[in-house]
Amino acid sequence: MTTDFAIETRGLSKHYRVGRRAIIALEGLTLSVARGEVFGLLGPNGAGKSTTIKLLLDLIKPTAGEALVFGRSPRDSEGRRTIGFLPENPAPYEYLTGEEFLSLAARLSGLSAAESKTRVGELLVRVGMAKASNIIIRRYSKGMVQRIALAWALVGKPSLLILDEPTSGLDVLGRQLVRELILEERQRGTTILFCSHIIPDVERLCDRVALLVGGKLIKQGQVSELLVSEGALMEATVESITLEALKALGLEARAAGSRVVVCFDPAKTQEVLTQMMGAGARVCELTPARYSLEQLFVDAVTHTGVEERP
Amino acid sequence: MRALFFIALNGFRESRRNRVTVVVGLFALLLVFFTTFSFELAVNTLDRAMTSVGIGFISLISEVLAIFLACGMLPREVERRTVFLVVSKPVSRTIFLVGRYLGNLATVLFVFSLMTGLFFLQFVVLRGTVTQAHLVALVGIVAEVVLLSAVGLLFSSFSSQFISVTTTVGLFFVGHMASDLYRLASASKAPAVKVVGLALYYLLPNLERLDFKLRATHSLPTPPGELGAALAYSGLYATLLVAVAAWIFERRDFR
Repeated sequence: MTTDFAIETRGLSKHYRVGRRAIIALEGLTLSVARGEVFGLLGPNGAGKSTTIKLLLDLIKPTAGEALVFGRSPRDSEGRRTIGFLPENPAPYEYLTGEEFLSLAARLSGLSAAESKTRVGELLVRVGMAKASNIIIRRYSKGMVQRIALAWALVGKPSLLILDEPTSGLDVLGRQLVRELILEERQRGTTILFCSHIIPDVERLCDRVALLVGGKLIKQGQVSELLVSEGALMEATVESITLEALKALGLEARAAGSRVVVCFDPAKTQEVLTQMMGAGARVCELTPARYSLEQLFVDAVTHTGVEERP
Repeated sequence: MRALFFIALNGFRESRRNRVTVVVGLFALLLVFFTTFSFELAVNTLDRAMTSVGIGFISLISEVLAIFLACGMLPREVERRTVFLVVSKPVSRTIFLVGRYLGNLATVLFVFSLMTGLFFLQFVVLRGTVTQAHLVALVGIVAEVVLLSAVGLLFSSFSSQFISVTTTVGLFFVGHMASDLYRLASASKAPAVKVVGLALYYLLPNLERLDFKLRATHSLPTPPGELGAALAYSGLYATLLVAVAAWIFERRDFR
């Protein structure tokens, strides 16, 4: 079955029962991820990001709705030949060496012994684990575990890469490596579903994002469109006036050293400048400020009023 | 089928590198070694004593190891979430489960073979006579291990390690008291006790059918038909249990 979408979900829901308490982990999620797209899932803890991923991999069963991966049900194990998955806090087989672990992944992905040897060798170098390939995983640091698990996900040359917090536990170099790998995979045409708390990574890497809060989809779209839709901001850095005086004028202001930064709607630039200068302020700098994904995230969570779930 | 082989091989490798399994294996060998050399009896009694104690230890260690592996490995993999990585590959949960089962069996049979080899070596050195009864008793132990591993796998497919071990050990004892259960139920005058007792007798695994150790001690032969029936019973019962375990495991949520 051919489809333009790597991932499609329609009304996907998952409810749990813990004792007598019903928990709605995901409610009516409908979204689609096009082939070759890098799609980010954003949300606070308990938002339903990992639940969505687990539903796509048939690790849990939906309460309602359906999910399709390249047009196939997640229950079809053969369909997972096209998927590479890196879970959050991966737990590889600790008694295996890095090389044995990747060889197992390669053989389970259907590679022959010769293909497996070549692919494992390539990946060990690519994730910077060649020197540690003969050490058992029990002795690996958290960052090394993350790297070897990332190689596990990549071993079958997947068409869809599902990464749950891929930069978690990595140092600066490790994070850079993961970003490079994601970009390489994107160039290769791999669809990537990317789930992270590190918003700058999402903003930098994703074509589109979906924002989940409390198991519900709050927003989705292209990163640039979402930010524009939230409106641009103008920032003025001023001096010779106090923060309190500016707030008394009804302006949104924050202290920045000896100066004060004022944010306002660009359409009101003339009006705000006149108002501030009339009160004795000296304007040092006037710059357009972009609404960040982080701000969008915080605003959405705040407006929804949903508390984080563990 | 390739995936099944690699998962089973991985399970065997895990057990081989697991400290508990290695310690149990070494302990088993030492036990068999020292017990068979510790007798100072007349030749005809020596055969009997060595058979009773040696095969008894082989049986005990094999069964303990089978329960430990069957009840421990799967819940551990689910709790640690290693299972996430494996089932995200093109591997069905049934293949994964059956692979783990075969890996556990391979480990137990490996330790069993070492113990059996050592036992026979000492037996021959001490000029004992290996009879058909010895071989039948050992085949019976293998059949019991196959069945016990399936019982443990069934419980560990949906519950924790503690619950699986407790239940499997319970069924081990009940299974070895099957004839007592039958006698008790048959003799009971209360219809409810009779019905429940007989239902349990027929439903629960009857491990006495696979126990030929006493016959080995007394060098009593077992008719091939009886052995064949016992093996078929163990094989069919284990297959049924693994099928039920796979059915449950396929439907389970890994949160």
